[in-house]
Amino acid sequence: MQAAGSSFKSRAGAALADATLKSAIDRTAGNAETKRAAAVGEFPQFDEARKLGRRIKDHVIVHLEHYLIEFERNALRSGAKVHWARTSEEASRIVVEICRSAGAKRVTRSKSMLGEEIGLPHALEAAGIERVETDLAEHIVQLAGETPSHIVWPAMHKTREQVASLFNEKHASPPASESIPDLVHSARQDLRQKFLTADVGISGANFLIADTGAVCTVTNEGNAELTTTPPRIHIVTAGIEKLVPSIDHAFALLRLLVRSATGGDFTQYTTFHCGPKRPGDADGPEEFHIVLVDNGRTRMLAEGLAAMLRCIRCGACMNHCVVYRQIGGHAYGATYPGPMGSVLTPAIDGLANSRDLPNACTLNGKCAEVCPVEIPLPTLLRGWRDRSWKEGLEPLTVRTGIGIWAYFARHPFFYRLATAVAVHWMRLFRKGGWIAWMPLAGGWTQHRDFPAPQRATFIAAYKAMRKGAPNDNGT
Amino acid sequence: MTTAREQILQAVRDASGRGEHTADSVEQILRESEMLLDGIDICRPALRLIDIVDSFMARVSGPKVGASIDRIASLSQLPTAVARYLAANAKPAAITLQPTSPLLGLDWVAAGVTPVRDRDDGVVVGLARWGIAETGSIVVHSAPDMPILHNFLCSTHIVAVPTQRILRHLEDYAEAARIAGDPAPRNACLITGASGTTDIEGSLVKGAHGPRELCVILVDGVVQV
Repeated sequence: MQAAGSSFKSRAGAALADATLKSAIDRTAGNAETKRAAAVGEFPQFDEARKLGRRIKDHVIVHLEHYLIEFERNALRSGAKVHWARTSEEASRIVVEICRSAGAKRVTRSKSMLGEEIGLPHALEAAGIERVETDLAEHIVQLAGETPSHIVWPAMHKTREQVASLFNEKHASPPASESIPDLVHSARQDLRQKFLTADVGISGANFLIADTGAVCTVTNEGNAELTTTPPRIHIVTAGIEKLVPSIDHAFALLRLLVRSATGGDFTQYTTFHCGPKRPGDADGPEEFHIVLVDNGRTRMLAEGLAAMLRCIRCGACMNHCVVYRQIGGHAYGATYPGPMGSVLTPAIDGLANSRDLPNACTLNGKCAEVCPVEIPLPTLLRGWRDRSWKEGLEPLTVRTGIGIWAYFARHPFFYRLATAVAVHWMRLFRKGGWIAWMPLAGGWTQHRDFPAPQRATFIAAYKAMRKGAPNDNGT
Repeated sequence: MTTAREQILQAVRDASGRGEHTADSVEQILRESEMLLDGIDICRPALRLIDIVDSFMARVSGPKVGASIDRIASLSQLPTAVARYLAANAKPAAITLQPTSPLLGLDWVAAGVTPVRDRDDGVVVGLARWGIAETGSIVVHSAPDMPILHNFLCSTHIVAVPTQRILRHLEDYAEAARIAGDPAPRNACLITGASGTTDIEGSLVKGAHGPRELCVILVDGVVQV
């Protein structure tokens, strides 16, 4: 779902100029970073648990065909109907067809990034089916007519004041105040009847349990169960990489997921859904559909991106990313923002449409450090940069610039000459040790001053030091 | 024309460079998947207290779960314990009972509590199948006598759990469910606190959609679940 109409550069520029956005991101991501650190600190086995998480995911990826077939067999045995979708369009079409054939007018949806990835909100609206997002953050995003800006906190970009204003405008019973408890209560009232009157409930899946055919959802709000239990039909959309061999393997990954995502130890509601309502059951859906979605995942497997299929969508990489923390999720213009998104988006939407994203990274390695399944995100990002260069996707200005630099790098004499000239040129514009303006450097100096270089280049200073001459600092 | 299923499976097979699975290779995969969990003890949190019931109680009432905890000597004391909780928290003494015989057979009226039919946003009293000390979770399985919605539509959720069914770790629940012959009910819900959200500025608020508070009551003695 590539955002159309603007470039990454212009979106990032607009985000950087938005002080309210910065404040909203800092409040939530800052909280998340602190809570995760505390949760990991209280779990001395975290490093071993991480290694196990990685081994479980790698085992499943290596034997993906086996687990897909086993999951399907057991899901069918439980009474579920299993559908397969190669692309996002095919997945959305399957869901819409199920809704249409059931005569569904209202659909409730529990947060699912896969649903966003396949464009399900748009497909349901295009089919004239009322869509009710039930996760509080997704509810906020839907009312605002926006898209999620984070995979765990989709409304991270909103301050409480903005949410209050939105609810005042859209809720039948507006919130009593701008306090967060009043805002939550207002959403509770607005959504309660909608849960109970939906024709279809749609959820994603945090894990697909191969040996039972069950689907695991985790929420703190309880909206997944309220979405999937009352309607006549429950539809699950899930990426094929969500498989685990058994519930025991899911538990090992849940320990990592929750701590990495929210800093909790376990979500309030962890539910395994296995097939439709059984004879005599007090409640539950009469039909249970599972849509298994490829949408680029098998291509990732074939093209050296298997490690990315380990991702359990915790969002820790974006909470700790210096770029995400400055520009937020919308600037990425894709379903998945932050470091994991910058690896996934080129695989899903094509590198030609998203070549800027792997470059929106300082390669400081923080994302890989906090990833609970040890995905080498900086390496994968560098891989996309490399591929972008080899496929000729980098603009002429970049190619020319790098070509010039490469020439000098291969010719040390000219390199030293050029840097010596540059140092003297730059010092012409210095004032008190800083450069506030300089031709061709406006992109930098319009935001911040540039430190004036010392009198000599490093090599010149080094040579002088070897000869015993005093250096630029007089030492 | 090949189906989407066949194309996806073929793409997976092509990417992995493998042929069709044989019975031997499936057996090998199963063995590998089991071996992954061989060293699970070094990958999960140790309980803080030696006694698993003490650990469970500490976990339930601790800041991460934030629920109330009580303990009674037998199930017959449950109505009094519920009445006590409701009075202490200024709640009306009207409850919706999970329609399960161990609870329906108790004398609620004598304790001053009135069972009522389903009441949205009211008090629900249920009986959990297991408790898990590692996380402070209680586990319910969907069944004719366990409506899943009961656990989510109420404002106050009171759950009794037999002390003898407190398990140490999450994996012990999986094993207990297998032994009980119910490894994959339509819904297995692990409930670990009241409904909460941090969706606005990362600030925790209880009562997002479901219960605003959770009260867990441990029941000693024999309880038929």
